[in-house]
Amino acid sequence: MALKLIQRGIHEAENPIEVSLREAFELRKPQLTPPFSLKVLTQEEYSKINKALIFGILSQPHLAKVHIKHLHAIITDGYGFFTCILVNIVDELYPKLLDSVKIQLIWVTKEMLNVLAIGFDKLLVAILRQIVGGDFREGNLWLCLEMVTLFLANWDCLLEEEPLVLNKGLYVFLRLLTDHYRVPSNPMIDALKRMEVEFCIRLLREHFPLCLKIGRDLIRLLQDLVHIPEFKAIWKDLLLNPRQFRADEFEDISQIYRIRTPGLYFLLRITPEMETKLRFLLTHVKLGSQKRYQVWFAKKFLGVPERETILTDIVRFICCSVRPSSEITEPDILPRWAVIGWLLKSCRKSYIEANVKLALFYDWLFFDETTDNVMNIEPAILLMVNSIPKYIEVTHTLLEFLLIVVDNYDIERKEIISRGASTALSMIVENGIIGSLDVLTRCDMISPVLREMLGKMLLVMQSSHSKKLRSASVIHDISPPIHLLPSSLGSQHPNRVS
Amino acid sequence: MQYLKDIVPAALNNINTKFIVLDKGRITLEGQQKMCLALVADETAAVHFQMWGDECDAFEPGDIIRLENGIFSYNRNNLLLRAGKRGKAEKVGEFTMAYVETPNMSEIRWAPDPSNSKIYVPEAVISPFSRVFPPVN
Repeated sequence: MALKLIQRGIHEAENPIEVSLREAFELRKPQLTPPFSLKVLTQEEYSKINKALIFGILSQPHLAKVHIKHLHAIITDGYGFFTCILVNIVDELYPKLLDSVKIQLIWVTKEMLNVLAIGFDKLLVAILRQIVGGDFREGNLWLCLEMVTLFLANWDCLLEEEPLVLNKGLYVFLRLLTDHYRVPSNPMIDALKRMEVEFCIRLLREHFPLCLKIGRDLIRLLQDLVHIPEFKAIWKDLLLNPRQFRADEFEDISQIYRIRTPGLYFLLRITPEMETKLRFLLTHVKLGSQKRYQVWFAKKFLGVPERETILTDIVRFICCSVRPSSEITEPDILPRWAVIGWLLKSCRKSYIEANVKLALFYDWLFFDETTDNVMNIEPAILLMVNSIPKYIEVTHTLLEFLLIVVDNYDIERKEIISRGASTALSMIVENGIIGSLDVLTRCDMISPVLREMLGKMLLVMQSSHSKKLRSASVIHDISPPIHLLPSSLGSQHPNRVS
Repeated sequence: MQYLKDIVPAALNNINTKFIVLDKGRITLEGQQKMCLALVADETAAVHFQMWGDECDAFEPGDIIRLENGIFSYNRNNLLLRAGKRGKAEKVGEFTMAYVETPNMSEIRWAPDPSNSKIYVPEAVISPFSRVFPPVN
């Protein structure tokens, strides 16, 4: 029987990646057993033998050690091509790979780390993306355990060679911990939780500046873990002893609020398959014909109630990593706000709904026009405005959430947050996302209490705007030290924290 | 590779095309053989696709199927696309294909071309959308 990498269903076409690797393997089979030829390979021959060896390593566990020895002997490009093919296999085929192939994949990944192959960091990140949020089946937990073990076992090497991989691992494991603390305890999950906590706490305690690169979403993730004693201690220090983290310029949690989380982090919790389907939805599907796609997406990724935790990840991804350039050329394509409206409606548990709303408004709370992107806050306002009048309850619940969260998210730093939200509102109008906020403040269908609260927020916006204008003229005249500016960004600018 | 809007009924295994499965009817038994009607479509048209045997369980809504040497012909007065004995239907992907639900090639009345009675030409639209699988929006 032919060797294979993936489980293929009946009436399923052969996968082109698998076919090309198998062909390379079959053609070079005679060269894959010792003694290995020492002759210099042409570029084409070199690529082909790399592919043949990948196929051999993945599909012949009993010969993997021979193949890897062969690989080490012929390598002339620092394993760059080899890891590149592996990344492609992970991105395109991982969910379909046979279990034995998945085991081999992790084994060869460790080998690539041992030789510090070019691109080993990308390979690790690609595998991290395959750990599915809210999936507690054995295969998924196994992958999680393999990865956290690998990260802990290679701590010093990763820290020295590619510290950002540890930082991405932190984002992933913090997020997974939230899920893992929600399932009934069993020996596997308990072991996993212990290692995830160990990894995250160690990085937070020993390399806080590295953790800060995640930006404000670090706080969003830590928030869900406050019930775990080790994280409770982290929170205590974040709020009361920031010096404890031994990061020179870190003095207050609000410094983290000001760092916008780069879009690449949100990809870490979306599998490539999900990403492809979501991007297709937002670039090819017309508004009005999305229904079937939504049903298919939900069936595949949200079928089990536990899977709903990924809704938060998807909303962050859509707000912060997807840019709707196609909207201009194809005006009737499904907009981001409509997809988010659907996702919001898919929440069956109230805590998930609250998390999804927070994900939607998160950048509003700390919005800073110099570092934030108005496209991150656009979906929330358009969802609120476009839900009037037919889905007014959506507008109502979102507006209510925003106003409550501004008042209560961090009472000690309420001023910062209220300034953030009002800056967000003014940027929305300034950038022409909506013509005017009257559509909310003058809408009779919205309760007078909410409209009054919104009105107060707008007053903050107007007063800070006029203050800004005044200080702008002051700068021009006498140039005061930058930290005296009312926006007080000078000494605590995000770029200076890390 | 043909677009669905260009397929014409004929007693020939001559259809090579790609489409996405939109909906599936109930699986029924015809003698020993399983059978299932499906609504499929590409970016130009929709059509009724007849699945046979283990195709009925293998293909699900959202699947993208490549049909080689399929046949578009009448089966008890219903105009259906199917793989037939000589053709092959294989899943090649999922989800990422745009489609339209009208015209539906199975809901067109065809008549022999007056100048060449071996060829069918469209005579009238019976229904713009499938009457078996109405649109969901």
